[in-house]
Amino acid sequence: MPEFSVIIGPQHPALKEPESFTFWVDGEDVVRTQVRIGYAHKGIEKAAESRTYIQNIPLIERICGICNVAHTVCYTQNVEYLYERKIPRRAEFIRTIIEELNRIHSHLLWIGIAGHEIGFDTLLMYVWRDREVVMDMIEAITGNRVSTALMTIGGVTRDIQPELVAKLRKGLDILEKRTEYYEKVVANESTVLVRTRGIGVLTQAEAIKHCAVGPTLRASGVRSDIRADDPYAAHDEVPFKVITTDMCDLFGRVVVRVYETIESIRQVRYCLDHLPNGPIRIRLPNTPPRGESVSRVEAPRGEDIHYVRSDGTDRPSRYKVRAPTLGNLAALVEMLTSKGDYKVRVADIPIVLAGIDPCMCCMDRTARFVEPSKGKEWVWTWSQLKKYAKER
Amino acid sequence: MLASEIRELLGGRVLDIKVQRTRSIFVTVKAEDYKDSIRRLAEKYGITHISTMTGADSGQTIDVMPHLSYGGMKITVKAAVPKVAAEIDTLTDIFPGAVMYEREVHDLFGVGFKGHPDLERLVLSDDWPRDVYPLRKEYKVIRPEPIRKA
Repeated sequence: MPEFSVIIGPQHPALKEPESFTFWVDGEDVVRTQVRIGYAHKGIEKAAESRTYIQNIPLIERICGICNVAHTVCYTQNVEYLYERKIPRRAEFIRTIIEELNRIHSHLLWIGIAGHEIGFDTLLMYVWRDREVVMDMIEAITGNRVSTALMTIGGVTRDIQPELVAKLRKGLDILEKRTEYYEKVVANESTVLVRTRGIGVLTQAEAIKHCAVGPTLRASGVRSDIRADDPYAAHDEVPFKVITTDMCDLFGRVVVRVYETIESIRQVRYCLDHLPNGPIRIRLPNTPPRGESVSRVEAPRGEDIHYVRSDGTDRPSRYKVRAPTLGNLAALVEMLTSKGDYKVRVADIPIVLAGIDPCMCCMDRTARFVEPSKGKEWVWTWSQLKKYAKER
Repeated sequence: MLASEIRELLGGRVLDIKVQRTRSIFVTVKAEDYKDSIRRLAEKYGITHISTMTGADSGQTIDVMPHLSYGGMKITVKAAVPKVAAEIDTLTDIFPGAVMYEREVHDLFGVGFKGHPDLERLVLSDDWPRDVYPLRKEYKVIRPEPIRKA
């Protein structure tokens, strides 16, 4: 049978950036994959050079909506490294609380999306209903549901009032109970098992070779978590377990995210129990000293790394951001390539794509199917492709 | 401790070593020693992970800075290449994961990577002029004229 080339994108529903994929398919099997990114290149690194350090906080926050806390924590602590100053312990705890709440919301969002991609919409409805609990908690602390605007250079902008703590604890109890329920659902529900086991396989050797990060790497049996390896904020004190599994497939990625959510809930509870007293920020001069610095945080999707260079003015001379998705892209191409007995089917493309990184902006997408030998070509909309995927 | 170990391992190749903070270190080497130094580091410490690669404009030269992970340590190797005919060796045979990062630096700074398997456009659009590199300092952002009321 002749190979078809299937072009998907650049308007793409499963990833936060529009990306263009070309799949060469032989019947139902994906033979090889090529990826082209850059459709959402916004020039944030160049823009950061023309703004002051304080003006850059809202800009950096808008790199990503879902994991905005990871980026702002990474940015502010990077600038604090330049000053060589430590922020108050209470501020570090508040950063950790909000960062873990952000991770809970991101992982729950992803579990819902994964359910949606495999045609299990009941899971989406349930999980997203419960996700509202964590969104309300974030709103109670910061005043905003999504973009928290909590981080500032030298600490945080808002304190957690004592009367709020009881409310947050109640929310955590609900979340823990519900997440434990989802743990049972994904482990026993045949819809999940059939569509995720042995799909999107990434062996440990491949994951290391392609420098994968985050839950994708941990689901391939590599123990790597920036919170444990290079602790920042309050992670040097807050106990947690690095979740790994050697299943190396999509099911492993689901399991890692579910257990990580439970770990995050426990971390927030620990922080609330041990919240130290004291100020929430220190005042720093507008201009950091000359120098350069690298800072890393564990974003919900994996290692997020920033680099800053200061030339002694109030604006950075260079700011570089590497978000975790770029780190997982090479691994994704590997997952979408059939080799030997491992076959990637067209119907599994949406869930394998969603497997490395979720996104809410499920925009419309067109897939153009081309059969070069016959000069035949037709178009499937995203909903048609999804219908096809669900019927499979 | 690691800084003195690296200095011993790389010998005269090291121009400068700076410990930025606990678990982050900057090693400056000459461009011709760049690949050899990184290969030695990778073999000695069993480094398999490259987090990313940063390019930075330093006036007459461009700094190429791969960030390597060694456990929780971050080792940043720094090598300066001249702006005119900027070129340096590829790391893709040591770290296959460097493919995307080198393409990004090539796009935005115009640094060529000798031996890279596929040095195509990554982030810039297809119709972007070939010899304009937006993250170099000589590229100025033109602010659009505000629309005036009629």
